[in-house]
Amino acid sequence: MNTLPHLTTIFDRLRRGYHLGPDDEPEFSRLCERFDEYAAYFAALGITLVRHEREFFYFNADSPETVPDTLPRIAVFSYIMIDHAANQGRPIDEFIFGQNFLVTALPHFTLDRYTALLRQVEVHDMSDLENVLNHMERIGWVKWLSNDEFRFLRPFHRVFGKCIELTQTAQTPSADESDSASTTEENPVNRE
Amino acid sequence: MRINPQSFFNFCANHAPLLSTLAARGGDFSEAEAMRLIRANPGIGEELPETAWRRLRELQILIPTEPGSEVFFMAEPVARLLNYLFNEANPATPEIICGYVASLETVNKQLAGALDDEDVQRISSAFEEISQTLRRIHADLNETQSAILAEVTRYKTERPRVSVREKYRRIVYWMGRYVEPMIEIVRVDGPLRTAFDETERLLHRAREEALFNDHPALARNLRFLRLVGAHALRVFTQCRKEIQPLYESLRRSSFIAQGAARALEQLQAVGLSRWGNEHLIGVAAWRYQNVPSDAAILVTLRRVIEFPPELPPVLELTAEEEAPDGLVRLLWLESLPTRVSENLPVQDLVDWLAENCSGRGISDVLAAFSVLVFYPDFHATFTDREPRTYDIAGGEITASPVTLTST
Repeated sequence: MNTLPHLTTIFDRLRRGYHLGPDDEPEFSRLCERFDEYAAYFAALGITLVRHEREFFYFNADSPETVPDTLPRIAVFSYIMIDHAANQGRPIDEFIFGQNFLVTALPHFTLDRYTALLRQVEVHDMSDLENVLNHMERIGWVKWLSNDEFRFLRPFHRVFGKCIELTQTAQTPSADESDSASTTEENPVNRE
Repeated sequence: MRINPQSFFNFCANHAPLLSTLAARGGDFSEAEAMRLIRANPGIGEELPETAWRRLRELQILIPTEPGSEVFFMAEPVARLLNYLFNEANPATPEIICGYVASLETVNKQLAGALDDEDVQRISSAFEEISQTLRRIHADLNETQSAILAEVTRYKTERPRVSVREKYRRIVYWMGRYVEPMIEIVRVDGPLRTAFDETERLLHRAREEALFNDHPALARNLRFLRLVGAHALRVFTQCRKEIQPLYESLRRSSFIAQGAARALEQLQAVGLSRWGNEHLIGVAAWRYQNVPSDAAILVTLRRVIEFPPELPPVLELTAEEEAPDGLVRLLWLESLPTRVSENLPVQDLVDWLAENCSGRGISDVLAAFSVLVFYPDFHATFTDREPRTYDIAGGEITASPVTLTST
């Protein structure tokens, strides 16, 4: 167990909410190869290491009593992105992952409805939008390619998973609502 | 009215784009709309649009919706012909295929009865009807396959124009309306196969009982029967294979889009405070919380022990010997109304101030002037008399006299 490679780096990144994906070598490859050992190691510390079906890794979040301000901002940003993508006529995965985006060309301030929603989470202008993207970069969901250009990374699939979960929950109103808590989202392979 | 085929096809040959446009548009046409299309799609040669419009009606390509009506539509036989020529396939509905199955079952009963009665004439008629039905089924299956594949291609190519939700709705319609019910009909234990098996059994019986002597035709029909049965299953299985990935992809996208829209709608409706954590994506945030080590405790104690003592600050608590200038000035200003009230009415306030404020500077005199002018118990009147100059410590003031009386 003590011979697990890159253990310090992996733990240090995952504990900050980072999602390790294919862009994060060599940690990603080591996690793929020895996932069970890492998971067992962290389980002993009371931490659940999740391997998502789309092949990336993250620590399962406890249900916090106080939600950081960044989470609603990231959620609203992401939902608006998806809402916009749905109107483009292409499969949403393809739209999100199949291109790079310019911050100045984002749809978030193109509709009054979007602007009003963003205002609720204290996102008022492009500068605030960049801050949200910086947060998303810190958790491994986007990658800056230049000052103005970025692309979404594979862990953004967690947002898709959350959306599907919300739709399914809405379609089965009789289901126990406690099952749809935020900790039991999407399709992690080792869901508990 | 009979139509000269040569005239009809000559017109069609010279106006193929126009006919294609009319067929694609479908529905009813007013004369104005028809003329617009004629002008947009001119025929070969120099021909007036009015002539083309007249010929369209003479050749009964466009016919009135009712006698005397000014609204026209494309005659059904022409529409079918154009459909065939332009290869715009229409899918057969499950009800159409079920109709063929029912027709085949009826013919089977007739054939069985004819075989029992050894009626060669009725056997021949039934045989002919079976052949026709099989050909229609085969043709409809091909057309359905073409239509479904064309629809799939259209979904893939008209991406920018149609939203994901709309595409999903349409593909679900195709799956539910055509593909799935049709597979139920044509599968190996479905009603089509059952009818075919019965037909095949009767054809074999006809051959064995030597009641139908055209053995090559009989063999051809048996082969066609098997071919159509296998072809039907293959066609719809292939269609499902074509649609299924598109369906899965659009279904997923539609679910994602619905979830996002629902979350945003909730936020809009209830506000952030009541939005709830179920809309958030949990992200871990583990922080270190350690017991302080001996070394850390030692360092802290050392800092406390080695902290150099400093004398506490001393507060000056004794009373000042002299009143501050500001306080003295304030008390003087507050005393003025009492002093001036003893001399009311004052005919020249500035003169009074100059006499009673000896030693005070101009700013103090002006401050006193303001206090008295705005004092609520006094009434100041600015006069138009000749201006005077008053000597004040540090300078002089020139002004018209102001009288001050009590209110």
